[in-house]
Amino acid sequence: MRLIHFVLMTLAMLLVLPAAAQAPGERHVAIELVPETAVPRAGGEVQLAFVSRPQPGWHGYWKNPGDAGVETTAAWTLPAGVTAEPIAYPVPHRLLIAGLMNYVYEGPFTQFVTLKLAAGLAAGTALPVSVKLDYLVCTNEVCVPESATLQTALTVGDGAVAPDRRAQFDEWRRALPKPLGSPATYAVENGLLRIAVPFPASADAADPYFFPLTDGVLDYAAPQTVTREGDTLLIETAAKTGRPARLEGVLATGGRGFAVAAAPGVVASASGGGAADLGTLFLALGGAVLGGLLLNIMPCVFPILSLKALSLAKGGGAGARGEAVAYTAGVVLVCLALGAALLALRAGGASVGWAFQLTDPRVIFVLLLLVTAIAFNLAGLFELAAPAAANRLAGEGRGGAFGTGALAAFVATPCTGPFMGAAMGTALLLPWWGALAVFGGLGLGLALPFLLIGFVPALRRALPKPGAWMATFRHVLSIPMFATALALAWVLGRQAGVDGMTLGLAAAALLAAGLWWTGVRQGRGRGAAWVPGAVAALLALAVTTTITRAPVQATEVAGGERFSEQRLAELQASGRPVFAYFTADWCVTCKVNEKAVIETADVRAALKGGEVATLVGDWTDGDPALGRFIERHNRAGVPLYLWYKPGSATPEVLPQLLTRAMLMDRAGGS
Amino acid sequence: MRLFAVVLATTVAATPLAAQQTIGQPAGNFRLTDVSGKNVSLADYRGRPVVIEWNNPGCPFVQKHYNSGNMQKTQAQARAGGAVWLTVNSSAPGKQGHMTPAEAQAFVASAKATPTNYLLDPKGVVGKGYGAKTTPHLYIVDGTGRLVYQGGIDDKPTSNASDIAGARNHVLAALGEMKAGKPVSVAETRPYGCSVKYAE
Repeated sequence: MRLIHFVLMTLAMLLVLPAAAQAPGERHVAIELVPETAVPRAGGEVQLAFVSRPQPGWHGYWKNPGDAGVETTAAWTLPAGVTAEPIAYPVPHRLLIAGLMNYVYEGPFTQFVTLKLAAGLAAGTALPVSVKLDYLVCTNEVCVPESATLQTALTVGDGAVAPDRRAQFDEWRRALPKPLGSPATYAVENGLLRIAVPFPASADAADPYFFPLTDGVLDYAAPQTVTREGDTLLIETAAKTGRPARLEGVLATGGRGFAVAAAPGVVASASGGGAADLGTLFLALGGAVLGGLLLNIMPCVFPILSLKALSLAKGGGAGARGEAVAYTAGVVLVCLALGAALLALRAGGASVGWAFQLTDPRVIFVLLLLVTAIAFNLAGLFELAAPAAANRLAGEGRGGAFGTGALAAFVATPCTGPFMGAAMGTALLLPWWGALAVFGGLGLGLALPFLLIGFVPALRRALPKPGAWMATFRHVLSIPMFATALALAWVLGRQAGVDGMTLGLAAAALLAAGLWWTGVRQGRGRGAAWVPGAVAALLALAVTTTITRAPVQATEVAGGERFSEQRLAELQASGRPVFAYFTADWCVTCKVNEKAVIETADVRAALKGGEVATLVGDWTDGDPALGRFIERHNRAGVPLYLWYKPGSATPEVLPQLLTRAMLMDRAGGS
Repeated sequence: MRLFAVVLATTVAATPLAAQQTIGQPAGNFRLTDVSGKNVSLADYRGRPVVIEWNNPGCPFVQKHYNSGNMQKTQAQARAGGAVWLTVNSSAPGKQGHMTPAEAQAFVASAKATPTNYLLDPKGVVGKGYGAKTTPHLYIVDGTGRLVYQGGIDDKPTSNASDIAGARNHVLAALGEMKAGKPVSVAETRPYGCSVKYAE
């Protein structure tokens, strides 16, 4: 029965499905064709939007569909004098299914096509436009090729765009990738593709990913590792055999997309990419050992270490050495295990380096809470259970020493957060064995004083007796810790605004209250004294979900006013020369020109002397109104430098690479 | 990455395959069971060109070439020229295109297909070992066991059967060149179609 059923089903599938899939009304993507204006100008152009809404669970494909799938094709029926440009795609998403990478749109998306009108078309000419789209739409399980024939009727007119239509198009267009402006470089070595993309160190790059348009150069499903070195963003991933003269793609980061074109060239490897970087490795290793050594005087380790050290001082030679070695083994093994876990997480697809995480205000928030708790612990508000556990372990020979070491390393890890962030970042740039060596070095450094005490009897004899001085010492150590918390609150304020910082401080206060209650209970010797502190910690952590990045404020540049076309007109009317420049945080060329030319003292003096008004257009967020203004000057993006002489409506477009002389001559001569 | 490579190597240990095949290099050997329960190994056919086709009857791109008779015609022409044709199905149980041996036999009969063997790879071991990404996805291994072609069946990446007439059939072109003692001029193309429905 099942077999017959199957045969029938297969036959039905073979015969019926293609027809059924194309029946009108059965489509899995609703597509609407919207022209930006119905009355385009002769000799001008008009953008058509294909507003697509896939059904829930279905996805459409990007121009490069990834490992499987096909791109959308458009067959146009156009009147004489009208031509269609290729389809422009918004930035896609990644969808990895059973090891195959798909570049898709899982929600509504809008593709664009620009129609160009010949200059000779008479006003009032009717322009019927028809297009047949062939595209693929899939769920995670099945794929259906669909066709849609769409029409719109245009009339040659004045090109006027209704404001609400323009606003709607501007919103859709935000999803299109912006030209990055500076060329990228790629290199392939030992099966590893490296792409160096110019991207200013000061610009945020959250969760970056390179969507390739050129096929056959990289393995789509392979994880991408992204590191940042100065003004370069370095993407590393598994290479395939293609070596084109131009590798094109879209760099997506933080909801934005940048069109990137890379030429073959020399790409410096990420720090520690190979044997040549042994120097870096030793430097990082040395730093790690030193850092580990410093950890000994850190709040969470010091009590454990001192208890153990003092117990060792009582014992004799051979026993002390054995315990010291066991303690070292415990510390190093735990450090290695933690490091390996971190590396495994990263290999599992987390495509970012350590340093990126510190740009997330939620991470800063959690660190703030942690540091606050540690500071209050040092100040004596409450006690950690750890010293008691360590005490129990202390007397029991090598096994106990190993346990104490493991505990010390484990408890030390929170302290490594704020202080060792940079070293850990370096470690993650190294090959895995190098990274593990650095983590091991951190452990070795942590164990070093104890190792010395074990092997040098004179040191054991010189140890001070434990006493009240230790408590005072601890209280003093709380001061730098509170200062750290203060610094973190400031960073939080920078990232999440006043509201975010207030939330962070409120959460810290809540945590402190909980910990105080815990301390009171501990003082009275109550059982389960930790409960109030733990509850407060959970509540405070819950605030994390409410922390969001503050909207980017337009940055005021010294001596410059924010650009608007209205302000430009006013300044021109006043008869002053105007220098208008357009920049973005992610544009390296822009930043170089600003640092080396515009913001130098002599250029500023010349601009001031010539009574030149400076207007600054910040395109970091891809403001569409600004984008249109830039396009009118035949540029797809930033940088753009315009010089308006008094009385002249059309500006002089200056080269993208400015020199000081260019500006100073014009400022002096106008 | 290395960790994953180790895991993969352990999984695939039964059949010595790299995660991807390289043109001009010996193609990874494999052994699969065909629809009649026979064990078939690539090495069994050493000395003759072998075409390997990835198949999923539920995929519209596969249907384009089966409903039009293009795949059957390509199979018949390849076999008439002395080549072996292995159709491989890597759909996992519960996924589109997965079939029992009897169901697969019924499909081959109803489609009037003429592969030398229809092989079942429900665990996707051979599919992943060959880096098979789409259905259809085609490979040609020459008589010395080296991979000489991998990619699409032709150069018109659409689901529209009317595109077949004007397309270049890469498989027949390659087999023709091999027969004439010439190197394969188009050795690698981009495959197109549905993704292979591997187990997650």
